[in-house]
Amino acid sequence: MPELIDEPVDVSVHGVFNWILLLSIFSIITVVGNYMGYRHPIYDSLIGMAILSGITLIGVWLERRLPLNISSIIYISLIGIFLAFPGVPTSETVLYYVSKIELLSIVTVFLAYVGIGIGKSWDEFKALGWKAIIVTVLVIASTYLGSAIVAHIVLVMTGVPV
Amino acid sequence: MWGRVGIISDNDKDFNQINHIYREKTDKRILKKNPWKDYRLHITVLFLVIIAELIGPIKIPLSESIEVSIMPLLYSMVLGLIFYLAKPISWIQRKQARVAEGAMMLFIGVLIAKLAVSSGQSIHLIFEMGPALLLQELGHLATLLIALPVAILLGFKREAIGMTNSIGREPEVAVVVDKYGFNSPESRGIFALFIIGTMIGTVFISFLASLSTSLLPLHPYAFAMASGVGSASMNAAALGPTLAAFPALETSIEAFAGFSNLLSFSIGIYIVIFIALPLTEKLYYILEPKIGRSSDDDDSQIDENTAGGK
Repeated sequence: MPELIDEPVDVSVHGVFNWILLLSIFSIITVVGNYMGYRHPIYDSLIGMAILSGITLIGVWLERRLPLNISSIIYISLIGIFLAFPGVPTSETVLYYVSKIELLSIVTVFLAYVGIGIGKSWDEFKALGWKAIIVTVLVIASTYLGSAIVAHIVLVMTGVPV
Repeated sequence: MWGRVGIISDNDKDFNQINHIYREKTDKRILKKNPWKDYRLHITVLFLVIIAELIGPIKIPLSESIEVSIMPLLYSMVLGLIFYLAKPISWIQRKQARVAEGAMMLFIGVLIAKLAVSSGQSIHLIFEMGPALLLQELGHLATLLIALPVAILLGFKREAIGMTNSIGREPEVAVVVDKYGFNSPESRGIFALFIIGTMIGTVFISFLASLSTSLLPLHPYAFAMASGVGSASMNAAALGPTLAAFPALETSIEAFAGFSNLLSFSIGIYIVIFIALPLTEKLYYILEPKIGRSSDDDDSQIDENTAGGK
């Protein structure tokens, strides 16, 4: 399973250009799926994807440029929350365009890449026995249900209405 | 799915790097080459997405009140896997899978950005429901109470510690390898969990969420928070049926999923290090002598060569 890594790569202008290109490809595919599945206007959806791609780009760039040891996921989350925060000048525009992109449209494209990417692990997967599969299924189910049940109990105890 | 495993093979024990689970692969896979060289990969993805959206969501009623919904996101993922495995499709090979994996780590950002915008919009909800969001992280410990005894009954030895301490995505793999060493039974256990979770976890959690939302009378927000337990793709796959079950609460559900994700990234890993892993180990040494199989029963041990890497 593990693969040897190549030597580290410096983020160059060329690299940033590649990110932009890939994010554009991803945006176009997502907008097509979004239009087919939900009939949201294509022009508004494209702007929505441009905003989301921009946030991503800043996040991954900050991760590599700032000396802090923080994942890009955290930067992207914080920028996204800030831009949509009620009262912030960008909030209304960002909300309008981003709401034209359904989460599930993004996920459908994302998981197509995931499906192709996990193909590599197929042989390793086949070599593992049924006992390991049972344990894995139990691990996922009990983690999910444990989290849902604890959340439910706390929500009810703190009086959150449905 | 988007691994740090490559770093582990470099025997890099720098614990601080656990936060950067995306960076290395993304950098080496997509920064070095020109993405348009893989245009056939992207055209294939576009094709898969069009097929998936054309089929649309399908609802299968199991009884009068229970139904399982299958979302386009599952078709596109399964079709992607089939395209990789199918021999006649010669333009999707290992090389393209590596590019897909690297690109995917950049695309997670778009997913996270969408969730974050919903979180920002509903920030008041997050403050009101902070306690539930924080405490549900402890609900993850259910895995060692349920899966660990079963793993021991099935005959797993110290592999069970690696297999059942958490849901076993990249950050947890890194923690276990860091603590026990690359060739330890514990690491073999979590590698097996990681591979199986990668292959079937996304599909499984989508069905699980679909069944749970129609069977269990829990708070809709509880399901939303629980969606965030695994990797980004598991999160997304669990959210699909949850959104379908509670369409009126779309923005709030996305907001919780986004925040639950942020929490998993910032504090979830410390729960594994300081609570889950030590507890799993303790429980293992209590339970193993009582219910474990005798040590000469070797057939259930995970083969080092298949699980530990080559």
